[in-house]
Amino acid sequence: MHEKTCTLLNAYLDGELHEQRLREMETHLASCAACQNELRELRLVSDLLQADTVPVFTPTERFVSQLTLSLPRRTLGKQLPKPNSPAWWLVPVGLLGAWFFVQTVFTLTDLVSAANLTGLLGHASGWLGGGAQESIWFSTATSLFSGQEAGAQPTLSLLNNVSVFGANLLSGFLWQAVIVLLYWAWLSIWWLGRGPRPMEMRNAS
Amino acid sequence: MAQPQTSDTETSLIEQAQNGDRNAFGELVRRHYQGVVLVVYRMCGDTGLAEDATQEAFIRAWVNLPSYQPKGCLRNWLYRIAVNAAMDVLRRKPEEALEDEEVLMMPDQAAGPETVLIEKERATLLRQAIKSLPEAARSVLVLREYGGLSYQEIASVLDVPVGTVMSRLNYARNRLREILKGYLVNTESEHA
Repeated sequence: MHEKTCTLLNAYLDGELHEQRLREMETHLASCAACQNELRELRLVSDLLQADTVPVFTPTERFVSQLTLSLPRRTLGKQLPKPNSPAWWLVPVGLLGAWFFVQTVFTLTDLVSAANLTGLLGHASGWLGGGAQESIWFSTATSLFSGQEAGAQPTLSLLNNVSVFGANLLSGFLWQAVIVLLYWAWLSIWWLGRGPRPMEMRNAS
Repeated sequence: MAQPQTSDTETSLIEQAQNGDRNAFGELVRRHYQGVVLVVYRMCGDTGLAEDATQEAFIRAWVNLPSYQPKGCLRNWLYRIAVNAAMDVLRRKPEEALEDEEVLMMPDQAAGPETVLIEKERATLLRQAIKSLPEAARSVLVLREYGGLSYQEIASVLDVPVGTVMSRLNYARNRLREILKGYLVNTESEHA
């Protein structure tokens, strides 16, 4: 017998066939002795399973009492909004907004610094912060070697600019890393809070 | 086929339990304990393991309840947790289950009547036959025969297509038919 027919016989036995498929199966069964026999045996298996005795389990009330005592404390559910609630989905939106804000601030800062260094801002550089930024080491080196090595001044300035640029870059990177970590934390909580995992499946045949 | 809907009272109990009300959760357990323990028992084939797995299933349900969406049917959600818990318990203590089976197979001296022994032997064989099925086929069979779930509900509980449910059920029943062939002949002659 074809596996498909046998599968449909099971569905017929379980009352899972409807309308046209049900009528087709009934017509087929009326004229097919092999399928009638198959159906009878499947019904016997099902009846045998149903007739099996059930052992005595712990009474419901006692089980409930024991279970209630052994339930763990739930803290996570009260502190955080439920996954899939509107407040919950605002978290990544907020993080994205924070990322855009940080990126904009740092880009603008770099542009203003670059414009200031090249003198494009002209007189406006005075109220923008009093000229180019200086690292601590640069201030110290300038005060120590002032007047001794006039030729070293451009080199020190260049190193200072590289240092200031590196510090800005590192600062920007750290902010982005914090935002990414917060996003991962959110994602992890969402993943863990999805409920029970789907059953691990193994092939039946 | 439409899935059974959770009643208003049950929805209210679920909401209370989600907010940490243990009494409300206790009432939910009271409503579903018999169904869950029966499904788990048929998965494990052992009373002690079934009770352990049932307790574990309800504890998991309590822990995961805040993320449960009351749109579906609570019973089916509990069955999904119960099937997973039964599998986990079986993987942890397979030797214990076998020992229990051996005890069950020993003839009971006090039982006396021959029919009781035959019934006992049949019950043991049936449990062994169910336990010999692959996990995936066994869970489909148990949810259908003992949980009373429709194909659509089983598909939802196990997260598989309905076609897979049908083929696994077909495999499970055919396998049982082969194992229980002798008993089926006797049963048929009794009915004739």
